[in-house]
Amino acid sequence: MKKEDTDKCEGAEENESSISQRVRDVVVDVLKIDPGTITPESRFTADLGAESLQSVELVAAFEEVFDIEMDEDEAFAVQTVGDAVCYIEKCLSA
Amino acid sequence: MINELVDVAEPNLLENIFPYDTVPRISFDGTITEEIDGETVVFDPARVLMEDIHLTDTTFRDGQQARPPYTVEQIVALYDMMSRLGGPNGMIRQSEFFLYTRKDREAIEKCRELGHTYPEITGWIRADAGDFRIVKEMGLKETGMLTSCSDYHIFHKARQTRREAFDAYVSVVEAAIEAGVRPRCHLEDVTRADIDGFVVPFVQKLMQLSESLPEDMKVKIRLCDTMGYGITYPGASLPRSIPKLVYRMMHDAGVPAGNLEWHGHNDFHKVHINGASCWLYGLNAVNTSLLGFGERTGNPPLEGAMIEYVGLKGDLNGVNLPVITEIADYFRNEIGATVSPNYPFVGEDCTTTRAGIHADGLRRDERIYNIFDTTTLLNRPPEVAITDKSGVDGIVLWVNKYLGREGDDRLTKIKVHKIARWVADQYEKEGRITAISNEELAEQVNLHLGKYVTGA
Repeated sequence: MKKEDTDKCEGAEENESSISQRVRDVVVDVLKIDPGTITPESRFTADLGAESLQSVELVAAFEEVFDIEMDEDEAFAVQTVGDAVCYIEKCLSA
Repeated sequence: MINELVDVAEPNLLENIFPYDTVPRISFDGTITEEIDGETVVFDPARVLMEDIHLTDTTFRDGQQARPPYTVEQIVALYDMMSRLGGPNGMIRQSEFFLYTRKDREAIEKCRELGHTYPEITGWIRADAGDFRIVKEMGLKETGMLTSCSDYHIFHKARQTRREAFDAYVSVVEAAIEAGVRPRCHLEDVTRADIDGFVVPFVQKLMQLSESLPEDMKVKIRLCDTMGYGITYPGASLPRSIPKLVYRMMHDAGVPAGNLEWHGHNDFHKVHINGASCWLYGLNAVNTSLLGFGERTGNPPLEGAMIEYVGLKGDLNGVNLPVITEIADYFRNEIGATVSPNYPFVGEDCTTTRAGIHADGLRRDERIYNIFDTTTLLNRPPEVAITDKSGVDGIVLWVNKYLGREGDDRLTKIKVHKIARWVADQYEKEGRITAISNEELAEQVNLHLGKYVTGA
C-alpha cells in the first residue's frame, strides 16, 4: 500500500463509525498491533510495520470483510489507513 | 564528455542481439589483435560466420574415463540423440570411441547400424603401430592417437628423450598412413609444452608427411589442454595462450583450420570459453563431451558449445536444441548420473528462479528473467521453486502455472495469500530449511483454491 494522498475522501466522516472502524479492526487483527497507534495518516509499511505478505493479507481481509473485489494494482498502491478507507468506500459505491 | 539521457517512448529491447526466439547473438565490433613474436597479429572473429566451425565429441572416450562405463545400449541411445541434436549438417561432426574391448567394438557396430551420417565414428588408440590393425578391422577411417608433447609426459611418463618421442610418434603416424587410416595426433599436455623446442618442429614434420596425401588422409592435429592450463586473456604468454598456440600451429606449422582441433579440461573453470575462443582464433573443431563429463573436472560441455555455436553463427544450421533436454533426462533417469541442478542448459533448476523479485518479473514478462525462449528451444519453460525467498510473487506465478491460468484469467496475489502464509510459516515457525515441493503446493492449492482446480 503506497499511495501518498491522505486527504479525507468524500463521505469519510459519515462512514467513519462503520468503514473506518472495520478497517482499523482488520489492521489490528492482521498486523497484531495496538489500536491506539493507528491514525488515518498511518502508513501501512513505514508506520505500522506491514511486511510484504501482510500487505497482501490486509487487502485479502478487506475484500472478505467488505465483500468486495479489489483491483490488485490499485489496492497495492494505497499507502495509508485513510486512503484504504476511501478506496474501500469507492469500491462499495461502484 | 557528458552523455545526455536518451528518453524514449518505447523500450529498446535490443532485439537484434536478444531476439528471444533464438539464442542471443554474439557480435563483435571489429578485429582482435595480439602481439606474437614481436609482430601484431590480427584475428577476425567474423571468420566464424564464414568457416565450417563445428563440434566433435568425446563422450565415449574421455567421458567414459571419468565415470562408470556406459552399457552398449546407453552408448547407442546417446549416440542416436547426439546425431539428432547435431542435425543433418553434422554440427557434431565426429565422435571418438575406444576400440580395445569386445564391448567397445559392439557399441561401434550397433551405433553404425543406426545408419547416421553424423557424428562420424572415429577411434582412439595408444601410439602403438600394432593397434592400427584394430582400427582397420573396425573399418574406421580416422583414429586419434596419443602424442604427448610436454616434457612432463616425455621425460617423466614415457621415460624418453624428445628425440625418441619425436621419432616414435612419427613412425606411428607413418604406420597409420601406410595402413590407410587417417591419423589425428593428440598433442597431449600442449599447454605445458616447449612450443618452439618440440611442438612446432613435430607438427611441421607431420604437415610435411601430409603434403603428398589426399585431403581425407592429411594428418589432423588436436591441441589437448590436458590439465586445463589454457587461457584466452589478451597478451598471455605461451604455452598457455590459446590465441598464440592456435596461431603458431596454423602460421608456423602450417596446419589448416579444418585439420586443427581443440580439446580442453575444466580444472580452472575455463573449459567452455577456451573451446569457444578457439573458433574465433582460427581453428574449426572444438572437442566436447555430453554434460562435460571427462577426466577430473571434465571437457567442454557439448550442449554449451552447441548453444555457443548458434550464438556465434546466428543460425541453428539444422541443430535440434530440444534434444539437449532429452539427453539430460536420459543421463538423470536412465544412466543415474548426478547432474548439478544449476548446470547451464541441463540442470534441473537451470530455468528455475527462487527469488520473489525474479518471479514477479517472470509474471510480468518472462523475457525479463529467462535467457531465451527456453520453452521452445530447450523444451524447458521457466519455473519457480518456492522457498522463503520466493515471496507472494513466486507463489502466484507457481499457482497460475499449475492451474493453467494465463493473461486476464490469472489469479492475483490476493487470492493466494493463505498459501503464501502457509509457506512463510513453514520457515518462520517450523524452522524448515528445504524448498517446498510441488506436491505440497498442489495440496495447498486444493485446500485453499479448490474451486479453481478443475482441469489443473
